[in-house]
Amino acid sequence: MQIAGALLAGVVATLLVSCAPKTEQAQGDAASLVRNAWMAYRLGEYQNAIQDFTTVRSMTEKGSDEWAMATYGLGITWDLRRPGENPRLATQLYHEVLNAAADAPIAPWAELALARQLHLVPVGQEPDYDAVNAAYQKIVDTYPDHLAAKEAFLYLESIQLAKLEPVSSKASAERLLNFIRQDPGKAEFVGPAYSLLSVAYVTLDDQENRLHVEQEAFEHTETDPTDPSVEFAWAYWNLATIAEFEVGDFDLARSYYTALIKEYPNDIRVHGSKQALKRMDALEARLLAEEEER
Amino acid sequence: MSVPKKLFSFIQTYFALLVVVAVYVWSVFVIITYRAQEAPPEAIVIRLGHWQLEASVREAVDEMAEKYRAMHPNVIIIQDAIPESTYGQWVSTQLMGGTAPDLLQVGAQLPANIWLSYYNRYFQPLSRYVYNPNPYNAGTELADTPLRQTYKDGMKTAYVPEMQEYLSIPLTLFGTRILYNKTLLKEITGLEEAPLNYRDFLAVCAQIASTTNPVDGTPYIPIAGSAYHFGFWDSMMFAPVTYGALRRADFNRDGFVGNDETFVAFKTGLLDFHYPPVAGWLKMIREVTDHFQTGYTGLGRDEAVFLFAQQRAVFMTTGTWDAGSLLAQAEGQFEVGIMDFPLPANDDPYYGGVVEGRIYETPGVGFQFAITRASKHFDVALDFLMFLSSQKGNEELNGIIGWIPAIKGTEIIPLLQAFEPHLEGVYNNVNFALGGNTTIKWGQEFDLYKVNQLSFEDLAGRFTRYYLENGLKDFLEQQRDWRRGMQRNEQYLAGIRGRAILADLAMEQAGTPEERAAAELDSESSWVRYRAITSARQIWGELNHARQMDLVNQTELPEDFVGPYEYSERVMEKIRRRLREQKAAETRLAKEPPDDPPPAESP
Repeated sequence: MQIAGALLAGVVATLLVSCAPKTEQAQGDAASLVRNAWMAYRLGEYQNAIQDFTTVRSMTEKGSDEWAMATYGLGITWDLRRPGENPRLATQLYHEVLNAAADAPIAPWAELALARQLHLVPVGQEPDYDAVNAAYQKIVDTYPDHLAAKEAFLYLESIQLAKLEPVSSKASAERLLNFIRQDPGKAEFVGPAYSLLSVAYVTLDDQENRLHVEQEAFEHTETDPTDPSVEFAWAYWNLATIAEFEVGDFDLARSYYTALIKEYPNDIRVHGSKQALKRMDALEARLLAEEEER
Repeated sequence: MSVPKKLFSFIQTYFALLVVVAVYVWSVFVIITYRAQEAPPEAIVIRLGHWQLEASVREAVDEMAEKYRAMHPNVIIIQDAIPESTYGQWVSTQLMGGTAPDLLQVGAQLPANIWLSYYNRYFQPLSRYVYNPNPYNAGTELADTPLRQTYKDGMKTAYVPEMQEYLSIPLTLFGTRILYNKTLLKEITGLEEAPLNYRDFLAVCAQIASTTNPVDGTPYIPIAGSAYHFGFWDSMMFAPVTYGALRRADFNRDGFVGNDETFVAFKTGLLDFHYPPVAGWLKMIREVTDHFQTGYTGLGRDEAVFLFAQQRAVFMTTGTWDAGSLLAQAEGQFEVGIMDFPLPANDDPYYGGVVEGRIYETPGVGFQFAITRASKHFDVALDFLMFLSSQKGNEELNGIIGWIPAIKGTEIIPLLQAFEPHLEGVYNNVNFALGGNTTIKWGQEFDLYKVNQLSFEDLAGRFTRYYLENGLKDFLEQQRDWRRGMQRNEQYLAGIRGRAILADLAMEQAGTPEERAAAELDSESSWVRYRAITSARQIWGELNHARQMDLVNQTELPEDFVGPYEYSERVMEKIRRRLREQKAAETRLAKEPPDDPPPAESP
């Protein structure tokens, strides 16, 4: 009887002991499954991604960060996989994240995914821009300091600027300036904000300010260090031609054309840059000669 | 029944099956013995698949494999040279079946999107290796240079932007020039070298065309052409004449004239077929292709090569990939010269003010190899590629083939020096491919013009009419799916975002400072990449589309319109004012005595 009791106690103890590691194992598995699922998504192996995300959803507590991450990942996969997409299911999954895990780190991204669904409509359809703007604005208001909100803000302003008319461009320029001022220390999306501001100044035909903000955009450009195609030849060319043709600042134009020639001697625009240097010299010589004649 | 009878009956019943079994056993035996001969059991076998059937390529790879083996005796390199026509199918079946060679030539013979999906699934990313120096460059000036920077093109060709990864190691640089029969040229014209001046070149072509071939009694053909070869002539020599259209039609001043800009320039009267760069392009086509053989547009590459090899034609364009084979064919029969494309002189009566220089050539590299995920010897396969892409190895490999090395500081064989790319020059700036119908219409009319069945005036009149009537509709149809590109970007960006979020989580969960530092680096790099791509691709979609639509819907120019490379009156006034101020300041300075005159010297 004692032996039987000891055996039973042993079995119970073993079962109890096995409980704790099992939970840890489950969590560990959830993390690695989510990693695997994202890897499968990036490799275009959507079926594997769906399987792993679904497994994590079922093995973690609803509303937990892991569950939210898996639900978001599953939504992304159904939303963006081609072929076989199911945007309705994706919408449902994004809403699940927002309803059950509103404070999870992934929630702002789920909100952004919903807004993007409204914006990137299928071929042949036009987005409901009021709904799109409202969706982006909601992210900006709800998560003001989050990267997703900054991204949403830029989409919002690009829609306004795409109207290419002065009133909305002026209002947009003010908001963009505020955005830049609010976040002076951070580089996150400040470069593109300056670039959008430049579009506003083109519409407003304010070329001096356009040149200034293009220079700022260049200064704040974030580049992917692993991408060999990232180079600034285009930026130099853009700044040089604005300085030359829109502002008439030949010294500045010369400095950018020269930088392009020097730093990117194999670039396709080198011929054009050399021609520009000659063109400016010739024009100045002609105008000086005209002045002399007066 | 006796045994022989039973045996006979058995054979009779199962004859077909027995034949199949016998053939199977025989083939297993042959394969095993063949493999054993190819490679001893303990050897590491690296298989390499490519589509370059030119004899010199196979020889070169074999020779380099032998050199590699001298350093690594247990490594055997075996190549599978597959014809171009079946390479795509072969690669697909090998990759899907899990039997692909360790190394595969990639980048062509299949559509780009198929390669992209294959890169994703079946190939090893090589990014982490391209930032390290190539160990085989030890002792050279490239010893400490990361592999990526040892390439003449910065290894751009090997980078797959959609994956943000390097996937392959390129081994050669390609270029296009004109090959000519030196022997025949001298015999017909008395010239030792082909003329590089455009007018002289045309005169030589006319002389060749007026000379009869004594073998068959027909006139010699100045230029061996085909539909395949026309593309090279056009892109390298004719189309760059349109460079000047930039000044009229590069509305967004990005340095190029897009299809939308060409259309708007035609619609608003800024460009037409009589604008000198456009007219000059078509005139040059007429003048040069008149010296191609009759009906060349219906002929393929091989027909032109035959004409050249049979010494019935004097000139032919070719790329570095073909040059070696053509030189081998000519060996012992005639001397071959390689020349650049002829260029009109600056004082040419027609082209003088139109042609601004030689074509700008992108230093594009090719013959690139990727390592398959199925490879059991990734390290060895990579090491062999490092050997082939080292300064010495690459020079040797290309020297044997007769191609241009892709690595900096390498020597090109003298004959190929004419293939060195022009890294400064002009380029095509007219693009009629506005949409499906316009492109087809242009193709039809252009083909008729090429074979002289349509005059310049008829081409200009017929196409302009169609273009202006149907262009906008065609463009709008093409633009219907402008968001599709953004959706593809969204799909890709979501993957990078997922990776960045995971890196953030790893940072929070890191157990040691080292783990935390590594995770921090990964997180920062992933987010920078995410923001850079979002900024470059997604934020501009809506705006670019709006601006493009605004442009193509323009029917007339504003009153104060100035060309993209012209100065407005406002800017001119500003420049004048600045010059006047400068001049005034200089005059003031000249009149004013210096601030501190030197003290007078005492006697």
